[in-house]
Amino acid sequence: MTANNSEMVPLLGVEIAGIRMKNPVMTASGTFGFGEAYTDFFELSELGAVVIKGVTPEPRKGNPPPRLAETSAGMLNSIGLENPGVEKVLEEYLPSLEQAGTPVIVNIAGSTVEDYCLVAERLSASEVVKGLEVNISCPNVKAGGIAFGSKPEMAAQVIRAVKKHTSLPLIAKLSPNVTDITEMALAVEEAGASAVSLINTLLGMAIDVRTRKPKLKNVMGGLSGPAVRPVAVRMVWQVSQVLKVPVIGMGGIATAEDALEFILAGATAVAVGTGQFVNPRCCPEIIAGIKAYCEENEVSAVAELVGAAWKEEARG
Amino acid sequence: MKYHVPQALVAGHEQTGGGLFFLVLHAPEIAQAAVPGQFLHIRCGKGDDPLLRRPISICRVDKGKGNVMLWYQVVGKGTSLMSQVRQGDCLDIVGPLGRGFEPVAAGKTVFLVGGGVGSAPLVFLGNELAPEKEVVALFGGASEGMLLHPCLTRLENCEYATDDGSFGYSGTVIGLLEEQMKSKTPDMIYACGPQGMLREVVRIAEEKSIPLQVSLEARMACGVGACLGCSFLRSKKSGGGWARVCQDGPVFWDWEVAWDDGEQQ
Repeated sequence: MTANNSEMVPLLGVEIAGIRMKNPVMTASGTFGFGEAYTDFFELSELGAVVIKGVTPEPRKGNPPPRLAETSAGMLNSIGLENPGVEKVLEEYLPSLEQAGTPVIVNIAGSTVEDYCLVAERLSASEVVKGLEVNISCPNVKAGGIAFGSKPEMAAQVIRAVKKHTSLPLIAKLSPNVTDITEMALAVEEAGASAVSLINTLLGMAIDVRTRKPKLKNVMGGLSGPAVRPVAVRMVWQVSQVLKVPVIGMGGIATAEDALEFILAGATAVAVGTGQFVNPRCCPEIIAGIKAYCEENEVSAVAELVGAAWKEEARG
Repeated sequence: MKYHVPQALVAGHEQTGGGLFFLVLHAPEIAQAAVPGQFLHIRCGKGDDPLLRRPISICRVDKGKGNVMLWYQVVGKGTSLMSQVRQGDCLDIVGPLGRGFEPVAAGKTVFLVGGGVGSAPLVFLGNELAPEKEVVALFGGASEGMLLHPCLTRLENCEYATDDGSFGYSGTVIGLLEEQMKSKTPDMIYACGPQGMLREVVRIAEEKSIPLQVSLEARMACGVGACLGCSFLRSKKSGGGWARVCQDGPVFWDWEVAWDDGEQQ
């Protein structure tokens, strides 16, 4: 390290699907409510972008409790897309995000292709929304969600259809519960997705040996937390090498080191979910940690690190 | 910035009985801000396992000393780890979280009905209400070792019930409540404890038309209303749908809760 290092200010900004972000750290949908839950811990404007909870055309009541089960270094959830419906989100939640000082991306979901299109069209009317994350991977609803996310042609069909109803950039959130993640990613890119989010939760379950019953009322749920991180890193590594559009990496990120692992694997941005439940200040801490890493390693822009691990390997 | 995520110094930690611990944390801002019924979200270990924080109700505060006190039971991996912290250690806490008890202006006599470790938030409430109200605390436990001693509750008027008859009234706290109500009718009841016990308190309060607030318990992930993991059914009377224990509660009016599982929207 030279004395000049302390004066170098690394560029943290990245661009995803035409959305300029001041740093690569976003929130993961479904873990941040509608942007209101963590404002007592840090300012939304500190984030690269905020991704709010999955929205469907009609209000959804979600799954019956218990909806949570803790597992080793992780947790299972079966919330089931509980949300107040797109109209209420437009009326009640989005106006308060106008002053967020960070791009707002809305996760959209549905049971049919028409559901996705309807939500996309309604949200396009909002000035606040800068992008849509298309949730074709929720493991907790019977119809839609993961059904669209497990077959490449169906995933592509959703993206193509939604694209006709909005000019907003589309980010396809993919399920890890597939045989070949690159096949899925290529299909949604071909269909017009401007970016992909990797990964949604892994389908799992846990059983209480005392009651001999599943711990979740819905039996199965989505596994998140540090336990899934190696799976997510692997998928980002694979997908970022075959895609032209950027990858948003997520799955068990809790520290700057975790976030950097994803960036080095090929993620242009990262999202924090379960990590926030454990440490509500984890997003600003990760942003500060990425900056410190760049400074220490004389990296002038975080974008230089994207995929550096496989680029390094290719060089031998 | 309303909430703090401090490393609170452990100022005291003692076992009060089988699997029950009394923890004193030095957290001046929280001691100032907390109201009865609120909880702290505590990271029990340092690593990834157990991953999630544990929600623990505040049992007492000492604003002068800046201390927050908890009385908790070891029920699993998290609380077991927590029970091993020693005086001088630090604990990562978030709080105070949740909606606390609503003080009721009308009437003079208040009953607190606590089952097991559910007595904890009622101790805080009783201490706050005692200067102005006649507070009668009715606390139940399996045996004498499962009760919180008056020297820790600081409540003057405290009656105990034990299932095995080893201390105080022999029977459940519900039996004790019914016994007490023969001679006195409270203007308000506050209750916290196991679901079965709460249902009984609800039944008694309804019969006598006494207003009742209950503090509920649930497994939580975020503790701040983000994850929707701790939802339970609201009664039709309160509009139906889900309520989050962490943020809409943990304290609710008895009529806000769908006690009967059959009461689906």
